[in-house]
Amino acid sequence: MILIRCPWCGQRDAGEFHYSGETTPRPDPASATAQEWRDYLYFPANPRGQVTETWYHRMGCRKFFTLQRDTDTNESRPVGGPQ
Amino acid sequence: VQPFLAPVIVSGSLHVYVSQTDRGELVFGASVDPFTSYSMRGSLEFIEGLAGHVLELMPALSKVRVLRQWAGLCDMTPDFSPVMGPTPVGGFLVDVGWGTYGFKAGPVSGEAMARCIADGRAPEIIEAFGLGRFGAGELVGEKGAAAVGH
Repeated sequence: MILIRCPWCGQRDAGEFHYSGETTPRPDPASATAQEWRDYLYFPANPRGQVTETWYHRMGCRKFFTLQRDTDTNESRPVGGPQ
Repeated sequence: VQPFLAPVIVSGSLHVYVSQTDRGELVFGASVDPFTSYSMRGSLEFIEGLAGHVLELMPALSKVRVLRQWAGLCDMTPDFSPVMGPTPVGGFLVDVGWGTYGFKAGPVSGEAMARCIADGRAPEIIEAFGLGRFGAGELVGEKGAAAVGH
């Protein structure tokens, strides 16, 4: 079983969460070019190793939070938040 | 198990496919992890969920025992469809990104790629799967084809 620590609710089964992808800065809608939007939407870095991601605790507190995860071992820890 | 299943059965709503080898073993295909991962490990949750879906499709298999499970890397593209055809590099063609349905679509994709190589351009059937579609914003709505994992 893969466990993920929600910064508000603590350690929970990964099935409670929704993965929202790598945390990357959203382009400014007022000035972004089509290419910048495409890079943002379709071209994540997809590294093997440490990655900073956004997850959503859909079956818990329903908050979005930042998670630092190793995509090789699935070990992870939340970044920020109370815990 | 005595051979009883000649075709591959795929269920889009159950996210499962069932195939039988000539030796009688049943092969169940499943889904991808719901997040990016390179771990290539199976898990109890995964096999439990898959077994549940198989039994919804074929309840008679409830006494069958599991021999093994394995996991690999699924090369998923942003629209879950493969990338096929020429690239900006002359003489370098790709047929990649098959994600969860490569071995079902392999034969026909081979035929299309052979045609592509012979003619020097993509045949109509694979035109929409070109590498340039991501830059052009023309993604393929192909989720129904694989029927699993999306």
